Amino acid sequence: MLELRHVSRHFGGVKAVDGLDMQVHQGEILGLIGPNGSGKSTTVNLISGLYAPTSGSVVFQGEDISHLPTHLRAQRGIARTFQNIRLFSQLSVWQNLWAARVERGTGWSGWKSRWLASADQGRELAEQILEFSGLQGKRDVLAGNLAFGEQRRLELARAAISGAPLLLLDEPAAGMNATEIDELDQRIRALRDQGRTVVLIEHHMELVMGVCDRVVVLNFGRKIAEGAPQQVQDDPQVRAAYLGADDNDELMNAALAA
Amino acid sequence: MDFYIGLLQVIGVHSLLGLSAWCVLHTGQVSLAQGGFFAIGAYGAGMLTTMLGWPLGWALLMAAVLAGGIAVAVGFPALRVKGLMLVVATTAFAEIVRLVFFNLSWKVQTPEGLIGPDGGLGFGGIRYFQANAWSNLHVLWLIWGLVAVVMALLWSLDRTRIGTLWRAVGEDEVAAQSAGINLTAAKVSAFGIGGAIAGLAGGLFSHNTTHIEHGNFTILLATFAIAYPILGGLKSLAGTLVAVVFIQGVLIEGLRFLGDWRSLLFGALILLVMLVRPTGVLGAPLRLPFVGRRDEPTSSAIPVERTHHA
Amino acid sequence: MSWIDLLDLLQSVFDGVMFGTTYALIGIGFTLIFGVMHKINLSYAAASIGAAYLSLLVVQIVPTPLVYLCAALLGGVLGALVYLVCFRFLPLNQPLATLMSTVGMLLLLEEAIVHATAGMPQNYPAVFAGVVFDIGPFMVRGDLLFVFALGCLAMVGLKLMLEKTRLGLATRAVAQQSVAAQLCGMSVSNTNATTFVIAGFLGGTAGAMTGAAIGVLSPLLTLPMTVKGLVVTVIGGLGSIPGAIIAGLVVGGVENLFQFLRGVSERDIYVMLMLFAFLVFRPGGLFAAPGGRD
Repeated sequence: MLELRHVSRHFGGVKAVDGLDMQVHQGEILGLIGPNGSGKSTTVNLISGLYAPTSGSVVFQGEDISHLPTHLRAQRGIARTFQNIRLFSQLSVWQNLWAARVERGTGWSGWKSRWLASADQGRELAEQILEFSGLQGKRDVLAGNLAFGEQRRLELARAAISGAPLLLLDEPAAGMNATEIDELDQRIRALRDQGRTVVLIEHHMELVMGVCDRVVVLNFGRKIAEGAPQQVQDDPQVRAAYLGADDNDELMNAALAA
Repeated sequence: MDFYIGLLQVIGVHSLLGLSAWCVLHTGQVSLAQGGFFAIGAYGAGMLTTMLGWPLGWALLMAAVLAGGIAVAVGFPALRVKGLMLVVATTAFAEIVRLVFFNLSWKVQTPEGLIGPDGGLGFGGIRYFQANAWSNLHVLWLIWGLVAVVMALLWSLDRTRIGTLWRAVGEDEVAAQSAGINLTAAKVSAFGIGGAIAGLAGGLFSHNTTHIEHGNFTILLATFAIAYPILGGLKSLAGTLVAVVFIQGVLIEGLRFLGDWRSLLFGALILLVMLVRPTGVLGAPLRLPFVGRRDEPTSSAIPVERTHHA
Repeated sequence: MSWIDLLDLLQSVFDGVMFGTTYALIGIGFTLIFGVMHKINLSYAAASIGAAYLSLLVVQIVPTPLVYLCAALLGGVLGALVYLVCFRFLPLNQPLATLMSTVGMLLLLEEAIVHATAGMPQNYPAVFAGVVFDIGPFMVRGDLLFVFALGCLAMVGLKLMLEKTRLGLATRAVAQQSVAAQLCGMSVSNTNATTFVIAGFLGGTAGAMTGAAIGVLSPLLTLPMTVKGLVVTVIGGLGSIPGAIIAGLVVGGVENLFQFLRGVSERDIYVMLMLFAFLVFRPGGLFAAPGGRD
């Protein structure tokens, strides 16, 4: 479904992403992990369109979208959430959802539903997804007034309401407690059951290992490992990346045993 | 009595100006160009009725369409930049318009004599209302009728998806485009509609005062235009109206007895309002200026890894 | 164009470039404030002219160069005042509010000037007013040369301050990373206030220089100065001091070029069009400085 072909992204002298080859298969939940600064967020930005690749190409459903503007990629079917919650805080919950709903109609009626649809229609559309994300009853609350967990759920709902077949989730578990993470796990599986594909960037290892079908590990902008979660966890290179490439086996074993 | 009618006429025209700025400010763009569109509408409508003999209704419509069209044309390049740069770009545009009219000299022979804009001397003899026996009251109704129409239009736009999209773009452009919203379409549409409204206001202005000149359309006017929605609170259309009534009615006309001091007071008043009610008079609930957190983070442009905080 | 006309044109441009140092200083002031606070202070040019007006109070008492110094110092005082009134107590995440407050300040200052002087232009002393040097076919006006030299002096002083002093270090640190700067013990509001004062010094100097070059001070100067200053800041690149300097000189020269070719009343149209072209083709300005300033 999505392919990154030898994608690089340089910022001046810094190679945030360096010759990355990656594939995302239809219907899978792919985990993207790596230590801080490894290029995960840059990769997500390259896929969603906030950055264009310095070299290489991004191909989505057979189409080269490397230089396609962000909003068109969203309309083609790539939705995302953000590490630092970026809700429209002065808009209500249903307005947040309505704004993100991609109307795919063409011609006059398509244009009308995109620009001139009434607020009542918007509220109705939003109702459908409120239950899925556990936000019933909060429809008219301003997004900025929601509790943190609710805001995270709204972000996820906003990405889901677009109907996008590919969802990029950027550290959705950050700041969550165990119960909330369990719920998140459930929701991600539910999304996959709907036939969607999910790319999950996370630091929370339990979540990644539990819910992902496959995991890709980045370090210094390059892919250093790829495979099933357990396989990746046992990979010595991955351990070295996270814990430091010391030859100090004792230290590593002690840390891993903890 | 005539004095009050005249005052209400001015308030009406400035309300339209404020509403045009409200539109643009909604998408988060700070534009000092409204004065320029005001000028285009003023000169345009004036020239159409006096030099080409058009009826007022058509002239006003044409003024709005012309100003709106130029706004769209200017908006495409100008709205690629943000923040201070947009302020400067729109200021530059407004100055260009003003200077063009300062240098414009074009007269035609009519039964009433030579009529037309005359460079620095301005454009006089826009006497449509007088020639067609409109009373002051009639003009007042026209102006406020149009204000009501525009307000109704903006209110209904706000309740449709356009309004939500505008606000979303105004809140967070990165999130908006990632959600599939076409930023350029949203910003240019707001800019264009705002320009058309300002053009309409300008057409009314030139016919109301019968004589206009470049000095009427300075950057100062543009700051007034954005002052109204900012001081009134961006959340509500009514707030803009309240601000206009307050500023024009109370300050400028009502404090006449203070003579020259009222302009000083005006500046001081703006400062005071911003200190006490930074989101505008009808904006968020009241907050005290010296209490509470000041260092709230503003959103950065593009999300990066946590290690590189903005 | 004949040879004589070409010489006149070059002379015009040359004079313009020297006068451009005033624009450069105002541009630097705008850029400094934007660099630390990411806000625009629209009242800056008005405060600069205001400082020059205030320095008129000592004109009878001290020799002219000290009058300029006085203007600079008063500019610093006004800068602190503007910071206190317009920025200190306003929430930082409301850029519209601070923008409006500086607009209010601009109106206040301009009206105050008009009141104090009853709207009459005031003569401002120049140094080396009657002196003229001849270099080949060109004339170099002594007073413009002094203005230019003073401008360069101010810029060098600024550069030294920013790079060699602790205060300068603090200013640059806060501009680039205010949270980390706080963690290092720097007070953000103090640094901001100091930046305003420094910008005020530059502004006061610019105001004095404008008065010296033109010969009179008038409240009508404030709006054009504000606009030109903003144009210079944007062309030079927001937050870039070298950019503001070069842009100031360029705008000064180009202004006179257009004035020579098309006359005073049309001149600004072309300057504005030039700005527009910049914004379309090179929105970052000459030296786009994302986040940092030097």
